[in-house]
Amino acid sequence: MSATAPRLTPDAPPPSAPVAGGRDLSRPVPFLRAAKAVFDLSLEGMVWSRRSLLMVALLFGPALLAVAVRIALTRLPPRVSAFDLYGLMIAFVYVRNALPLAALFYATALISDEVEGKTLTYFLTRPIQRVAVLAGKFASYLVTTLTLALPAVVITFFVLNTIRGWSGIGALVPELFRDMGVMILTLVVYGAFFTLMGVLLRRPVIPGLLFLFVWELLANAPGYLPRFTITAYLRSLIHHRPPDEGLAEIFAQVLPTALCLQAVGAMIVVFLAGAAWIFSQREYVLDQ
Amino acid sequence: MTRSRLVVLGSTVVVAAGAMAALGALYLDPARAAVGPLPPQALSLPAGTRYVMGLDVKRFVASPLYTKYAAARTANRPQAFAELEEKTGLNPERDLDQVYIAGTQAGVPGRGGDALVVVTGRFDRAKVARAIETERKGVTSKNVSGTVVYLFDENSAGKGTGATAFLDDNTLVMGTQASVEQTVIARAKGEAPLRDNAALLALLEGVKPGSTFWMVGDKTLLSNMPKAIPGPGGPGTSQSIELPALKSLTVTGDLEPQVTLDITGEAADEPAAKNLADVVRGFVALASLQANQKPELKQLASAISVTTEASRVHVAARVPYEVIDSLQPKRASSAAPPNAQ
Repeated sequence: MSATAPRLTPDAPPPSAPVAGGRDLSRPVPFLRAAKAVFDLSLEGMVWSRRSLLMVALLFGPALLAVAVRIALTRLPPRVSAFDLYGLMIAFVYVRNALPLAALFYATALISDEVEGKTLTYFLTRPIQRVAVLAGKFASYLVTTLTLALPAVVITFFVLNTIRGWSGIGALVPELFRDMGVMILTLVVYGAFFTLMGVLLRRPVIPGLLFLFVWELLANAPGYLPRFTITAYLRSLIHHRPPDEGLAEIFAQVLPTALCLQAVGAMIVVFLAGAAWIFSQREYVLDQ
Repeated sequence: MTRSRLVVLGSTVVVAAGAMAALGALYLDPARAAVGPLPPQALSLPAGTRYVMGLDVKRFVASPLYTKYAAARTANRPQAFAELEEKTGLNPERDLDQVYIAGTQAGVPGRGGDALVVVTGRFDRAKVARAIETERKGVTSKNVSGTVVYLFDENSAGKGTGATAFLDDNTLVMGTQASVEQTVIARAKGEAPLRDNAALLALLEGVKPGSTFWMVGDKTLLSNMPKAIPGPGGPGTSQSIELPALKSLTVTGDLEPQVTLDITGEAADEPAAKNLADVVRGFVALASLQANQKPELKQLASAISVTTEASRVHVAARVPYEVIDSLQPKRASSAAPPNAQ
């Protein structure tokens, strides 16, 4: 049996308190200070978690595969060049699958974990704005995922592209920085989307998986349909895409870079603003 | 410091070290080009250059295509190279690094010979110069801005049919007299006329780094191409397919470990690009339809993908050497059957 207790109303004013330590306790803590405090607290729980172990396996898998390819390549004739394989890992493994999955598992849990663990009360009864809670948690999500993802892609880049020596690697360096930029954008935009799903839905993981592996397939459809997906914009930002196969081969579109950046930027703003607004307005009823 | 902060710090150190190594490689790369794949000395090419193509000789010679096909089929190759090496001290396979071909008058009627060839590598200048002077009659030389320019078949007006000169110890330029002299003068003055050609520079910047061969050109390069191709009804019918005009063309390719070709053409607008992409896809589909008679064509067709990006058409081909082998004509059996008589 579950009874409903405490009902947490949006941005409830804290109990009035006298001025202490030079701060008016009747007013909420400044946004940046509150967000940083939430960030510090969340980072500790997010980096050292079982979820992170799973994500390490997911994100460092391609790096391990790159090492295996490098070892095997001395004996086996390769079907694709090392740079093509690196491009495949960036476009297909990271940007299409691994990073959206990491965003799904981390970002949907930003608030729902606190609700399930009944610890949201501790945030919402403090004199801090709800938006600051969300901002701090989103920042800790970003730092955690970037901490896991960026070293993996740097290692993959060097392991694969130095198979035939260091000569010529200088020409590939701009691609590494471009890829890192696209990966950061991927984590931000999917993180924003899944944060919105996390505050909107009680159980967002299944809808999130359906979105990633069903809806996002529209990116391979003809006409304007790819523009209704996130991945179509992100993959268009990658220069060294491997050739598509199947439906994608027939209908594949590469959207203009300026359009992609505008669309991704707009999505980040809309998703984060939507998540912040819903989180600020919503009443959370915690099961006892 | 907490455990989490240590993990973040460790990750930051790895990424920062990687970024530093990458920037170091970019800065110290001896093949670092001045613009796209072009070396600084190639910027002395005339500003009116309409197309440039390049070949990385080292990569080409090391590729399976060269070792397997070109070298194997040219029976007299070692002898020809030996003779060239004896006369000039130059072994192309060993001494050449890059070959660039630039042209200024592509497609202009009656002006087909304005190509300029720039070769970089290691030359024995004295031996090469002696070979130029002695191997052929009618070779004269003149001093242009402190550089010796060799003229071939110079007439009484001082005009030669061709010219060649060393831009520096590692760069040899060949072509028409006017082009060579223009390049030599620009080099001597430290000018980079090619930098004035913004359109071509933009195309050069888009060349995939480290490609074995590449080519960029504007619409004049493509002006000799057919404007239409016969439709299904055959030549001379009204069903011919009109090809949209291209504003520019960029081709890059690699030969290892498989033959890789990336062609990007810029059409006038998005509908024209889609139209052209459909034409290319149609040809690929036709090749697929031939698969019943030649199964290897199906592999070839599946190795090609066509995409559009606004007004650009991108054709990518990844052809393994097994497919190329299968497309080769079957050789007659070396062991002929014994004659019945």
